[in-house]
Amino acid sequence: MTVLERAEARASRRLPWGNPLVYLVAVVVIVAMLAPVAYIVLGGFRTNSQITVDPSGFPDPWNVGNYLGVLGGPVFWREVLNSVIVAVATTFGVVALGLMASYVIARYTFRARGAMYALFAAGLMFPLTVAITPLYFVVKTIGLMNTLPGVILPQIAFQLPVTVIILVPFLRAIPDEIQEAAEIDGCSRLGFFWRMVIPLSRPGVITVGILAFVFSWNAYLLPLFILNNQDAFTLPLGVQAFSSQYSQDTAKVLAFTSLSMIPALVFFSLFERRIVGGLTGAVKG
Amino acid sequence: MATVTFDKATRIYPGSTKPAVDAIDIEVADGEFLVLVGPSGCGKSTTLRMLAGLEEVNDGHIYIGDRDVTDVPPKDRDIAMVFQNYALYPHMTVAENMGFALKIQGVNKEERAQRVLEAAQLLDLEPYLGRKPKALSGGQRQRVAMGRAIVRQPQVFLMDEPLSNLDAKLRVQTRTQIASLQRRLGVTTVYVTHDQTEALTMGDRIAVLKDGVLQQVGTPRDLYESPSNVFVAGFIGSPAMNLFTTKIVSDGLQFGTGVAKVDRDVVASATGGTATVGIRPEDLQIKSSGEGLPVEVDVVEELGADGYLYGHAEVDGQRVDIVARVDGRKHPNAGEKIVVTPVPQHVHAFDSESGERLTKPVSAPAGV
Repeated sequence: MTVLERAEARASRRLPWGNPLVYLVAVVVIVAMLAPVAYIVLGGFRTNSQITVDPSGFPDPWNVGNYLGVLGGPVFWREVLNSVIVAVATTFGVVALGLMASYVIARYTFRARGAMYALFAAGLMFPLTVAITPLYFVVKTIGLMNTLPGVILPQIAFQLPVTVIILVPFLRAIPDEIQEAAEIDGCSRLGFFWRMVIPLSRPGVITVGILAFVFSWNAYLLPLFILNNQDAFTLPLGVQAFSSQYSQDTAKVLAFTSLSMIPALVFFSLFERRIVGGLTGAVKG
Repeated sequence: MATVTFDKATRIYPGSTKPAVDAIDIEVADGEFLVLVGPSGCGKSTTLRMLAGLEEVNDGHIYIGDRDVTDVPPKDRDIAMVFQNYALYPHMTVAENMGFALKIQGVNKEERAQRVLEAAQLLDLEPYLGRKPKALSGGQRQRVAMGRAIVRQPQVFLMDEPLSNLDAKLRVQTRTQIASLQRRLGVTTVYVTHDQTEALTMGDRIAVLKDGVLQQVGTPRDLYESPSNVFVAGFIGSPAMNLFTTKIVSDGLQFGTGVAKVDRDVVASATGGTATVGIRPEDLQIKSSGEGLPVEVDVVEELGADGYLYGHAEVDGQRVDIVARVDGRKHPNAGEKIVVTPVPQHVHAFDSESGERLTKPVSAPAGV
């Protein structure tokens, strides 16, 4: 037997496509996760009578009217725009403030450093739900009811703990020698922040940015309290309003829901690898 | 180009009472290659970092040229530093890394490219200018770090163990390259290493530190031929000098059944009736019998042309390890009993209490 043959013999002893049990478990999990989504998306292509007759059937014939109806109306697009504004502003605020706060906590030594970090960490244990009533009064007092900033500002605040906790170890991992080399090369501390910290922490920044974006896109409770005016509704509120308004028209509600999910889904699947990379990767010298 | 002067420079780390660097006085001449050497934790890196401005100076002053830079921030000292792990900026290409300091200084693009190219040619880095540090080997990264320092055309180069991350062969090669490059550029250089071979081969002068205290500054030959105390004697030279305490006799120091001849005036300055005798491995002569120190051979290391004999002897009831250089082709074997005697002109004597070199009281100035 030649070496090659031996290698082949050894390789063939293992199943070429892995363990069937693993596949079984994987299939069950995937079906469980995708079935509701598929039901919503496919349901949008059916008519109400089809749904009533056979709730779990396939569209027959396929009917794009529900989707076209939603896309054709002004309500959906207005709500998309609101959601985009809120999500983008939240993301920018979170990244900018989070990066600055993390830089200070990670790379300056000062007395209250540990306390500051603990403060942000404590924010993780303080859910928005608990704070919603006082938050409502605060937003009302400063006159931001029914405005998008009234949602954006609290969202930035509540997303900061996660951001700081992810970014601090990230920035701490930048070797001291790089900072010293930059210092000798003529960088001030702010210069180091701009020229070194921001480019080096890009994977981490992308991670926290996406997390903030998705958090904001899916936020329901806070907009529900702050935004009472239909014109200021974000998509999750819109879905809710739409489904109570057209509660009889299940197919249309399903179409509206699936359209509102798409941006977050696309975003997440596009950047999924980056998110994980940012959570695990540190700066390599 | 400039001189560098440490004037009683002291560094005490917060929370510690013992200075990490204790009142160091060193003068480095313009264009000189000074090596700071010592065991780990001796304060040599701290000394360099004080000069770089990365470490506060708690007492004393540091001058570059005539300028007191004690409280000047690193970027205004006109220095360039090569770090042990190179500290290249991972997100920049080699060219950007090398040109970074110039960019911050506001040097225009053409001149920057020109200077980077010149440095790259000097270091054979031209093919790699567009690469990121990640895509370079250890030796190439080391050269980029050198290049980054050269491009700046600083007054002083600071190097913090720049070779310790290279493999043995490359280290020897790069050692020569750095030394010849420094001589060609003529830039004052302060170089830190824990490796005494590196120190001996590269430095114009060597400063030996121990526990934050400067032990001796001198040319490699000075340090080798007349170490100022037991520590320097044991640290410089490989294998280390044979050192042991022995009785003072009428015309020198007791050496087994023989005598290591030392000038009478010299031993007269010793405290007590004993002194530490020091003899380098190559200054021991080997006989099969007769007067001298009886040594039992433990092992002989063959290095080709010559070899090192490791053995032990008994001096005043104490076991003393002895190393002697022997002919590679003809030498005693393990287990044999031999007698060693010192070459008379190469006997070093140190005070057995203070460890200081014993010198003639009047004719030669004490200390270095």
